[in-house]
Amino acid sequence: MRRFPLAIALLATLSHAPVAQAQSSARGALDEGVHRVQADLLLDAEEVRPGERFRAGVRFRMHEGWHVYWRHPGESGLGTELVFSGAAFGPVAWPFPQTFRTGGGFIRTYGYEGEVLLFAEGRAPDAPGEHVVEARADVLVCEVDCIPADFALRLPLRVGEARRPSEAAPLFDAAQATVPARIEGLEVAAEARFEAEGIRGRLRLPAGWRAEGEDAFVPDASPGFEALRGEIRDGAIAIEGKPAVEASEPPRVRGVARLVAPDGALHHAEIDAPVIAANEPPVAATEAQGPSLALVLLLALGGGALLNLMPCVFPVLAVKVYGFTRLAAESRRGLFAHAAAYAAGVVGSLLALAGAVIALRAAGTGVGWGFQFQHPIYVAAVAAVVVAFALNLFGVFRVDVSAGRLVERVDARQGLGRSVGEGVLAVVLATPCSAPLLGTALGFAFAAPAWVTALVFLALGVGLAAPFCLLVLVPGLVERLPRPGPWMERCKEILGFALLATAVWLVWVMGGLGGVDAMARLLAFLVAVALACWLFGLAQSAARRRWLGRAAALGVLLAAVPFLPTSTRSAPPNATTKAWSEDAVAAALAEGRPVFVDFTADWCLTCKFNERTVLASRRVQEAFAARDVEFLVADWTRRDEAIRRKLAAHGKAGVPLYLLYAPGRREPQVLPELLTEGLVIDALSSLPKRETKKEPST
Amino acid sequence: MKLRVPVFLFALLFAGIASAATVGQPAPDFELPDETGVKHSLSQYRGKIVVLEWVNPECPFVQRHYKAKTMEKTWAASDKEKVVWLAIDSTHHNTPEKSAAWKREQGFAYPVLQDPSGEVGKRYGAKTTPHMYVIDEKGVLRYAGAIDDDPRGNKEKPTNYVQAALASLLAGGEVKEKTSTPYGCTVKYKE
Repeated sequence: MRRFPLAIALLATLSHAPVAQAQSSARGALDEGVHRVQADLLLDAEEVRPGERFRAGVRFRMHEGWHVYWRHPGESGLGTELVFSGAAFGPVAWPFPQTFRTGGGFIRTYGYEGEVLLFAEGRAPDAPGEHVVEARADVLVCEVDCIPADFALRLPLRVGEARRPSEAAPLFDAAQATVPARIEGLEVAAEARFEAEGIRGRLRLPAGWRAEGEDAFVPDASPGFEALRGEIRDGAIAIEGKPAVEASEPPRVRGVARLVAPDGALHHAEIDAPVIAANEPPVAATEAQGPSLALVLLLALGGGALLNLMPCVFPVLAVKVYGFTRLAAESRRGLFAHAAAYAAGVVGSLLALAGAVIALRAAGTGVGWGFQFQHPIYVAAVAAVVVAFALNLFGVFRVDVSAGRLVERVDARQGLGRSVGEGVLAVVLATPCSAPLLGTALGFAFAAPAWVTALVFLALGVGLAAPFCLLVLVPGLVERLPRPGPWMERCKEILGFALLATAVWLVWVMGGLGGVDAMARLLAFLVAVALACWLFGLAQSAARRRWLGRAAALGVLLAAVPFLPTSTRSAPPNATTKAWSEDAVAAALAEGRPVFVDFTADWCLTCKFNERTVLASRRVQEAFAARDVEFLVADWTRRDEAIRRKLAAHGKAGVPLYLLYAPGRREPQVLPELLTEGLVIDALSSLPKRETKKEPST
Repeated sequence: MKLRVPVFLFALLFAGIASAATVGQPAPDFELPDETGVKHSLSQYRGKIVVLEWVNPECPFVQRHYKAKTMEKTWAASDKEKVVWLAIDSTHHNTPEKSAAWKREQGFAYPVLQDPSGEVGKRYGAKTTPHMYVIDEKGVLRYAGAIDDDPRGNKEKPTNYVQAALASLLAGGEVKEKTSTPYGCTVKYKE
């Protein structure tokens, strides 16, 4: 067992610099008769000109196995404190520190073993003559035991006519080599997830940069963190932290890193990276640790199945119902083939979508569910397909040439192709309806790694295809279907009108994206599509020269392409509602008013449904007025990065999202995606009653 | 299955920074013998406020605070009826005899719990001596960190965080400073 260090004051001349010695003092550091740390003050010049730059440093020499700490000691110990005086000094330069692990890696500290020179650059006094540079150092030197020590060191500095470097100058140059600096163009961000027990993630370095060697990242005291660690894996910097219980500022990862640039050069870099969190920190202690993967997949499966009943898929479902009553006449093998083809169409296109999402996200583009409907071309294309389908149902033209010269075999193949196509269309149309049902699952998928995203989309697809396949594959169900007959034609035509209604909705979406002009252009384009379909149909029924009609159809389509609305307008869609911003929320809260934020988009049917039936209702409006609620709209009809980030912060990749902020409460209340009047009014009545200012009675 | 598969490997790299006791969450329960062999568990003190103090008599920081009687004064300034004070020594080479001798020498009354395996220390994430934890009557951790804001022992009027936390809890209020960076010697865990 070690004896305790003696906190005795001893006067010693500790300077080994080849300049005139000055009186210095050291306290502590003496243990079992041995100096565990010695300190001497060094200058890089014996003489400097007035106002010239020079460096002053304290060289700490530790007894073998002992260390002093970096400016940030890590999880234990005490940071070294060093102050220079006697001239105008800049900040202390800290050479790159070592990482020490004790307790089997349980405790990490950062500092220096052996010898280290901590220094600062100073500007020499203007007056020639003898000056004195002073340094005060307060260190904790540790091996297993720790001994506090402080030093007061003095050294004369001659200000004269010439600069005479000292023998210590090379020591300064050597120390300077590993002092981390801000590196131009090195943008680093910390990508992390809040988890139940902390923050985990990595530092994203620019392409081509990598961390060099073990312990190449040393965390500094970082805002928003109680504790923070780094770990190097294959040149990448993994981080783990414990968020502060009460953060007064957004978390940032600070520290120093030893990095190799794309050109192979070694750099010591100061890092100050914002934390980009994929989610928001868990609020309540009771909150679950996030849904398990199995639950999310189950949700996606169920959600996919329910999508069959959603308004924007229903017309397609109807088409499918028609399609499969037609199939009832076919053999069982044929039914299997159709079910498989339909499922393949659904699952395949969802997986393609997943792939696109993953690729886009990897490319750094923030993408949300429903993002497709923010592109006018996409909306126009879907509208064209819908109109063409409707005309097909009306019998304007045929896709499956069941009668006539084609043999049964080919017919079967075409039927399969149609099944695949229907599967694809079901997916395309399901997109905007998915948010309410699949919000959780998708929000999860977007924040999750690529393989999880793919898996969730797969489950979604299976769920979406399942009801159809089930109906087709269960023998009893198929036989119970009505026999084919003329009613199918009527049914088919009615379904055509349902598709046209869907087209109306798409036109309205386009209006949200690009205004009246865009709507008109889209309608003109749709007329051209209808004309092309009609020409195509004519060609199909013509006895001769069918190519002429088909060429005409193609020509009309091509001629109509310039009508396609391409750009979105820039003005806000609705000037009467107050637009959401974090500032607007803060401003209203500062006035003591509660805030309701409606995250919506024109292409989101659930949002519109909620707005028209619940939010706009008289009772809800009165409740808003009674509490003096500030109603803000975050319109995501067109892409908006701030909104996307806010959605992501709540674990969502799409709209709707409803947030209710109360003055004095830090976290907003999140309302469900499907609102009811009672639900909103209950939420409002839970707000603290606003004190109404009364005029003093006379 | 929790969605931690991809980060699982990372988690292995970081042994225990995030798994430590968290302020606002229930404090981990434990059962440890004191220097006389009597067992103490956190749950047996439910209904009282509990202060945990990680100690190591060999540590200069602990010595400084015992010389100044910081802990004894902090406890006395609260309400000894309602506040239980437990010192815990997770030094791997400590023995009950050493703790008993130190307690006699210093003349304090609270038990020194023996945790030479370091298991409880690591469960709490105790990094330094002293490292302080304040647990409320319901067993929820309310404060974790340093005893005061004076690591170097040179402040005229240091702020005693534990004393402030105890005063707030006894008054039925919220603890204002919920965490601070602990300072002192590294806990001498078994390597």
